[in-house]
Amino acid sequence: MQHAKIADGLPSQPEREPSVAALRPALFAGYGALDDLRYDYPLVLIDGGSGENMFRPLSRIIDDILQETAAPDSSGEALRQQVLRLEAKIRRRVMQSGPCQLTDLWRDCAAEFIAQTGEAPFGPLDVNLDKARQSLYVDGLVIDCDDKTPGQVLVHTWKAMHQAKARVFRKKVDGLTLRLTDILKSDHMKSDEAHGAEALASSMGSSGDGSVDFHALSAVLARARPEDRLPQDRVERIQNVLRVLQSQLFYGPGRASKSGPKQPKPYSYTFESCASALDANRDRLRDVLDFTKALTVAELEVENKYRPELHDPIFERFDESDLTADQIGLLPSALVCLRDGETDATEIARAFEALACGLQITVLIQTDDILGATSPEPPRNSFGAGTTRIAAMAMGLNNGFVLQSSSAHLYRMRDNLVRGMQYDGPTLISIYSGATVTAPGVPAYILSAAATESRIFPAFTYDPSAGPDWAHRFDLSNNPQNTVDWPEHELEFEDVKGQRQSEKIAFTFADFAISDVRYGRFCHSLAQADWTPGMEPAADWLKLPPETNSNQKPYVFGIDSENRLRRTVVDDKIIEAARRCNDAWCRLQELAGINNSHALRLLAQDRLEREVAARAAENTQSTLSGPPSVAAQLAKVAEDAAPPVVTDVATDEQTEDTPWIETARCTTCNECTQINSELFAYDENMQAYVVNPDGGTYRQIVEAAESCQVSIIHPGQPRNPQEPNLVDLIERAKSFH
Amino acid sequence: MTAPMSQCLMQMVQTDYALSDYQSEIAPRWCAGCGDNAILTAMQRLCRDEQLPPEKTVCVSGIGCSSRLPHYMNAYGFHGVHGRALPIAEGVKIRRPDLHVFVTTGDGDCCSIGAAHWLHAIRYNMNMTVLLHDNQIYGLTKKQTSPTSPHGLKSNTTPHGAVLNPLNPLTVTLGVANVSFVAQAVDWIPDLLYETLSKAYHHKGLSFIRILQRCPEFMDHRFDDWVRDPSKMRILTHADGLRLKPEVSRIYKNQETHDPRDMGRALAISSLNDEIPVGILYRDPSVPCYDELRAGERPNTPALVQTVLNEEFDKVGIWPDPATAPEIRE
Repeated sequence: MQHAKIADGLPSQPEREPSVAALRPALFAGYGALDDLRYDYPLVLIDGGSGENMFRPLSRIIDDILQETAAPDSSGEALRQQVLRLEAKIRRRVMQSGPCQLTDLWRDCAAEFIAQTGEAPFGPLDVNLDKARQSLYVDGLVIDCDDKTPGQVLVHTWKAMHQAKARVFRKKVDGLTLRLTDILKSDHMKSDEAHGAEALASSMGSSGDGSVDFHALSAVLARARPEDRLPQDRVERIQNVLRVLQSQLFYGPGRASKSGPKQPKPYSYTFESCASALDANRDRLRDVLDFTKALTVAELEVENKYRPELHDPIFERFDESDLTADQIGLLPSALVCLRDGETDATEIARAFEALACGLQITVLIQTDDILGATSPEPPRNSFGAGTTRIAAMAMGLNNGFVLQSSSAHLYRMRDNLVRGMQYDGPTLISIYSGATVTAPGVPAYILSAAATESRIFPAFTYDPSAGPDWAHRFDLSNNPQNTVDWPEHELEFEDVKGQRQSEKIAFTFADFAISDVRYGRFCHSLAQADWTPGMEPAADWLKLPPETNSNQKPYVFGIDSENRLRRTVVDDKIIEAARRCNDAWCRLQELAGINNSHALRLLAQDRLEREVAARAAENTQSTLSGPPSVAAQLAKVAEDAAPPVVTDVATDEQTEDTPWIETARCTTCNECTQINSELFAYDENMQAYVVNPDGGTYRQIVEAAESCQVSIIHPGQPRNPQEPNLVDLIERAKSFH
Repeated sequence: MTAPMSQCLMQMVQTDYALSDYQSEIAPRWCAGCGDNAILTAMQRLCRDEQLPPEKTVCVSGIGCSSRLPHYMNAYGFHGVHGRALPIAEGVKIRRPDLHVFVTTGDGDCCSIGAAHWLHAIRYNMNMTVLLHDNQIYGLTKKQTSPTSPHGLKSNTTPHGAVLNPLNPLTVTLGVANVSFVAQAVDWIPDLLYETLSKAYHHKGLSFIRILQRCPEFMDHRFDDWVRDPSKMRILTHADGLRLKPEVSRIYKNQETHDPRDMGRALAISSLNDEIPVGILYRDPSVPCYDELRAGERPNTPALVQTVLNEEFDKVGIWPDPATAPEIRE
């Protein structure tokens, strides 16, 4: 490495001025007081939410309320101001005292607000807030962005999905149970027991006055009882199936929990570790198979399509390899929440195992520290230096849904999150919480947003169900300015002369790193007075090839605790890490089709070939003249020679002499068949035709023609010249020819 | 395996129902020449062509000549109360949506005593096929005037001729809210009767077919003019309606292309006097079905019914000791 080392000779950390210790990236300057800003937090985890409304920022909910209640002109201004002030109060309350139900917060904060203004109850403020409250249609836990956020959001989303699955499951299983019970019940109604005097008496209720002789009634019913009972093996099969369906432990009974037989507690599907999830999966396999078999048999039985000779062998052999995706999809998926720094490090290997074998499982990996230690630390439960790349690695497994996001981007990624939860297969969700202890004074929201902004923790989704290729499956669109290496923002500041200055600066890995105190020793911060032309922004520096020998020093803009702008010269250590970070980002970009190296190479090659071809064409411009298209001529000849398509289908007309019927017009009225069923008969569509012209007399044929309501019988000529009255009959038959 | 497993297993069971599988042991007792026979045959052909399992097919009827039809079908049947075929069929359908429900009713059964049920069944638009056998007379009771009898018809109840104009079942049905399928067929063109019935069966919602039918005993020669003169039959064709076979098209040349979405034209065609329209007059597959609207999120299992009832009773129950009172869930 040829870069100038600047770490040497810099004052060591303890000697630095105290304000520099609280150094922050310059672009954080606008976000000093988060409680005054309207942003994606606090987040409301909506009770009973689904799809887009799984969770929603408080600010959006308030916007919806104002849209509905406050007039857009100045008359609605008072209401708008009051509700926005209430929103700020709620935000502060959540920041200070933690999660709480939205309606409770609204009630308490509104009461406090009214008390502070000194207004009486039912005053204008109270009335306005109450009016707004009427348009608050959702409720749920309000959470702030902190170290618990990823877990809370994930568990909320998973629960909603689990409940939705439970509804589908119960609808299916209850429907089948009901219909199977009906089959057994209708069979039971034909039994001796159901027709016995006792059963009849009990069906009348206890208020019977003895006026009905149930024994006599039973004797009468016995005579009229249908005999077609179900085969015993079918009854037993249905009873077995019902037993399995009714004793399943995958989902609880839902609303019908208070009735029915007492059941053991349903299985839990939230796990502390992948090991326990895998164990549970193995332990429950027997039940899964039994249930799936029962469900399939039930589906066949209600359609009356179960044939023991065909299906018994299939169900005897049925094992886990026969389970289909839709059968697995009906059962609950597991949720495992892992946390870097807390969970045992070996869990990562188990997580990959669970993902690789295609279990219905969602693994959350929460990371609170993405930069990692700068020097060896005492051992702790860490997933190691690759924690930030776990999601990228998991994409290699290819069968799992992978989502990576920081807490700050969770709302923007909500659709992807919901899709991941609905995905029928393993899902890995990697979330950076922003609650890094080594970045004191920076709120978790800001830090997590900065992690995405600086490309250290990009937001992306890999959804194998979205299509056959990367273009469909991989989504990088939720990142800021995702076509460039580092996103750029305008920074406005006051220079030493008190002039307003504006500069476009990139937000790089180095910017992110300076907020971490552990990286303080790789930075040297300089006040405006000490800035020299020998400094170069880190983003520009990073564009240079690593081998470049330059005397320039890379810097990023930082601010101290009093928002004074400082250039912070960063060390090789940070620059190297930034290069690695940029490399990883570029790889993701390539996967998303941005600056794809293969495509660029092909484009370049194509351009080159076209240029060569163009030059060659210039040289031989006049030599070409198109030969006549032989293929076209051949095609024309073939067309002319083709025989014309016969469209008029020749009908097999009957001869004038034999009797015949326009069968297609027959209305099945039985007139002719009643005259002579040997002469006339019905075909497979129950329409008449002459089955045997010699099966009857000419008189019968003529009479049938006369009685035919739709006049479709044509008598033809007499078959037997000896038949009496032929002259008269032939005359009568004339009108039916 | 792409289809769900039970689907694959079901396909292993080959069924090949022939028309005779839908014929009951009882031979039809209708008079020779009666149009009901053609309707029965069309029904049986449909069942065979759609391979409807007899145990999944239900024919519900009221009272009248037409209502004898369930006896002649080898399927589940319900020969109901006069005028009440439709409510019975609705009950069957809402409890057993998996069954194919057909209703056969006559001009008296449907348009007189059952008129109220008729209107509401149209409005409920439950998924079933209704066949109105309209012979314009009470045949079973030997010739009395029905609501659709022509003006001036001399019968046992109107010896000096019917004094009222007949009711037009088509315009009435078209005028009811939520109407989704109205067609007319005649028993003497069996091909079109079958085609219309097939379209009706495939329509989701209540499909109402009025079938003009001859009664050779009590309304003899009533339809002779139309039976003998194909040009007096107006056949309604459309890509979304009936499409005629060449042999039918050759005989019935009086054709009109009618879009079944066009309610205005449907009403105009229904009101024709000298010509009999045959085909699909109106069809709107987007009309919601009551059975689907009312389908609960969960089937009403005994356990659920008991829970819901207990919850309701508990709301008004008085418990002497709060400690033993059950928790009331809203």
